[in-house]
Amino acid sequence: MRTRLSKYFYAMIIISLALSSCQGVTLSGLGGKQEVVSIIYGSEKQEWLEPLVQQYNNAQHKTESGATITIEATPMGSIESVNGIITGELQPVVWSPASSIYIPVANAEWRRSHADDLVTGNPKDLVLSPVVIGMWKPMAEALGWPSKTLGWADIASMATAPEGWSAYGYPEWGRFKFGHTHPNYSNSGIVSIIAEAYSGADKQRGLTLSDLQSESLKTFMADVEKSVIHYGTSTGFFAERMFERGPSYLSAAVMYENLIVAQENKRINGSSSQLPVVAIYPKEGTFWSNHPYAILNAPWVTAEQKEAAEDFQAFLMDRAQQLKAIELGFRPADPSIPLTSPLDSQHGVDVNQPQTVLEIPSAEVISGIQSLWREVKKPVDLVVVMDISGSMEGEKITSARSSLMQFISLLDDRDRLEVVIFNSGITTLTELSLVGEKRQQVLNRVSGIYESGGTRLYDAVLSAYQNLEQYGDPNHIRAIVVLTDGQDTDSSVSIDEMLGQIGASGEEAGTAIKLFTIAFGEDADKDILKRIAEATGGKQYDSDPKSINKVYSDIATFF
Amino acid sequence: MHTPRANSILFGAYVVFSSIILLVALILPGVRTRPLLAKAPLRDWFLDKALPAVLPKPDPVVISVLYSTEKEAWLTDVIREFEASQPALENRRPIQIQFEKMGSREIYVSVLDGTRKPDVISPASMLQIAILQDLSAGKFGKPIVNQADLNTCRSTVITPLVLVGWKERADVLWGDQPGDQLWKQMHDILIDPKGWSSFGHPEWGYVKFGHTDPLKSNSGFMTIVLMTYSYFEKLSGLTSNDILSDQDYQQWFIDFEKAISQFEYSTGPLMEKMIAYGPSTYDLVTVYEATAIEQAANAVGRYGQLYIYYPPATVWSDHPFCILQADWVTPEKAEAAKIFIDYLLSKPVQEIALLRYGFRPVDASIPIDQPGSPFVKYSPNGFRIDLADLPTVEVPDGSALNTLLEFWSRYIGR
Repeated sequence: MRTRLSKYFYAMIIISLALSSCQGVTLSGLGGKQEVVSIIYGSEKQEWLEPLVQQYNNAQHKTESGATITIEATPMGSIESVNGIITGELQPVVWSPASSIYIPVANAEWRRSHADDLVTGNPKDLVLSPVVIGMWKPMAEALGWPSKTLGWADIASMATAPEGWSAYGYPEWGRFKFGHTHPNYSNSGIVSIIAEAYSGADKQRGLTLSDLQSESLKTFMADVEKSVIHYGTSTGFFAERMFERGPSYLSAAVMYENLIVAQENKRINGSSSQLPVVAIYPKEGTFWSNHPYAILNAPWVTAEQKEAAEDFQAFLMDRAQQLKAIELGFRPADPSIPLTSPLDSQHGVDVNQPQTVLEIPSAEVISGIQSLWREVKKPVDLVVVMDISGSMEGEKITSARSSLMQFISLLDDRDRLEVVIFNSGITTLTELSLVGEKRQQVLNRVSGIYESGGTRLYDAVLSAYQNLEQYGDPNHIRAIVVLTDGQDTDSSVSIDEMLGQIGASGEEAGTAIKLFTIAFGEDADKDILKRIAEATGGKQYDSDPKSINKVYSDIATFF
Repeated sequence: MHTPRANSILFGAYVVFSSIILLVALILPGVRTRPLLAKAPLRDWFLDKALPAVLPKPDPVVISVLYSTEKEAWLTDVIREFEASQPALENRRPIQIQFEKMGSREIYVSVLDGTRKPDVISPASMLQIAILQDLSAGKFGKPIVNQADLNTCRSTVITPLVLVGWKERADVLWGDQPGDQLWKQMHDILIDPKGWSSFGHPEWGYVKFGHTDPLKSNSGFMTIVLMTYSYFEKLSGLTSNDILSDQDYQQWFIDFEKAISQFEYSTGPLMEKMIAYGPSTYDLVTVYEATAIEQAANAVGRYGQLYIYYPPATVWSDHPFCILQADWVTPEKAEAAKIFIDYLLSKPVQEIALLRYGFRPVDASIPIDQPGSPFVKYSPNGFRIDLADLPTVEVPDGSALNTLLEFWSRYIGR
């Protein structure tokens, strides 16, 4: 017994020694110092980046000093992120917008209050994708593609052709319907209008402010914009709508090459039954979305965060991660990786394109183009339908009122607005007419809204719809924004009757009236509101008094 | 009976518990990032204290080297061998080298402003040595380097400035090879608002040429030196006066440079962009021959054939290693630096530069067309083995070079 005991004793000592040698390792693995690297990136690469952030964090990379690196990455529109960083509301370590177009703009703004640039050096690109016009393949073929190269000029002439696709033997496609995102909110939107301006000036570089004065350039832009069904904030959303709803909804839209590849992947593997879609590389030239990875030269970035950010960058540039980007349809930034499938004609793209780019204009010319666009953009005929039933009392009605006022202030003078409020009854506060003529008067009326009574939701929506059908201009973006906090209680029509009347279908589905519905608070019937919005190609939002401003701002980007 | 059984149960539990901890410790990533036996007090004591006590080692002579980024891969590759050979001075003091890489211009700027006090500097070319020689004479009373003194300043590997272009497009511009008027032709096509339309190819847009920022990168600097020499139709004797007093030249130069949309900060990334973006973004760029070789394999199979063109006269990036003539460079340090430079000039190290990195050896006895040479492998892309008949422009004096940089910085730099 004594021997057995001592055997155990020695064994325990040996095991304890072995364990003590591991102790340091175990502790450093289990916890210790953390280095958090915040990244704000263009949402276009979310599908690629998000899983990689998780993979990287799980692998517990360390800095020289032994701190565990944690990446916190937030997708955000590139223009929104520039503004946030300049004002200091956002303080990321790394900023990776969709394109390096924004870097000179950000540096110029930053230098107003700082001695140095915000982004120094030439940041490395993470992945590449050219800006293209995504078009249904049969439509592109009807226009002579691929033997004929297409460009912005073709879009302009299609946009102004009154007979639309009939002229090409496809009356079922209706008029030519085009889409690009809102240039004040989205990268592909801003590059779309820059490209339109170049094309209108018949230039590929050296665009000047005096070029923007020309009447023919203005007409050209206005022509292209006439065919736009609506704007919006996210290029991905546009592509999704186009690929869900088909050619009668949108004939073509400005997007990134990778979105075409992704859709063709879906079609080929059977999860989408749409027509094939192809990338048109505008013959006049285009821009690259190059996703630069900029470690900011800002006071809030520490040396160790910079080191950690560089480690993550190296991880993203590794072959394995770059190959994943190809699977999603991006072109790798690493030149040693060949451009292989799915970057091929089976997936609607041509890696020998684009043949040329347009020169990025100076910051002042870009803002000149933005102002010009404001003048020629498609106006909106908008009806706001707002619930003022008794349940809206308190904070709800106050915030709904103030955010609606802010929303109205985002509209242009050329836009037309009607405001309808409903409870057990339906009241038109102001008829559909130009905002410029009545802005202050409408704001005064809205500020006096108070709550009472029941909820005649369906009746109110249907009557707004019928009014807009009758008095709205089909050459404008026509939209209805509905805000409600509860279930329908008093309507005379049923939901199905209403949906039957407002649903968008047929060859003009794309230009039909769009409904944007806001479920305000927990008691709203979100499912019904979603059905209403989606029947028209619009969008449903969940909101509450705290987020309502943001929802209205998002809806504003569609116009 | 009772006690041993309890013991064995306890022991069993202990073993299981310990094994779990051991397993966890082995699985956790910490294990992979550091040696398993990082803490070994006995071993550390033996190596650090006991051995030296028996065999006292002289203190090492540490020399600091500031070098330009283009040769990082070659240096990193060959330095291991140097360290493994346990280099030492005659008095047995071992040699240690501290490296720091930076841009070629940064190197001489940091020596001039005193933020760095290196023993050896190695910018990408003699251009920077010439500038430093000129400016340091003014600043310190005597030059801190002497480019003509082979005892302190040696070129190590050389590579000429070349043009890299998409063959399909270059063919349209100049056929097989650019003529003697290359830079004048480039100027004219770059400022032509019709761009490629003038050559029957409207689909290629405007003509897009690229070189690096001359203030940040040597290859861009070499490009503007070549352009300027070519304007004055000479191969030597460029002066500050040429640059400052000829308004036609100035206008010509400004127009040329304004037609370039963007200046990359470094040669490697410029070449990578050329390949990653294809001809949409750059039709032609100037880079080092070695950079072009490094990327030649990557260019295969995308955007058509990439081809190398030698300008009618070139300038060489010769990666000089120069020992500074400064009070902090002791005779021992100078001796150590010479040993290191001699190592870089040794045949095996020169061959590595050729075979792996596409540099031309300064040792003329090493054939460039030997088996395994990238010059042979990529000769279908226009690389030439023999450049004996390619004229070289003279490195202008430091003040002329500085004037050119100042001029660029004032009118073009953004």
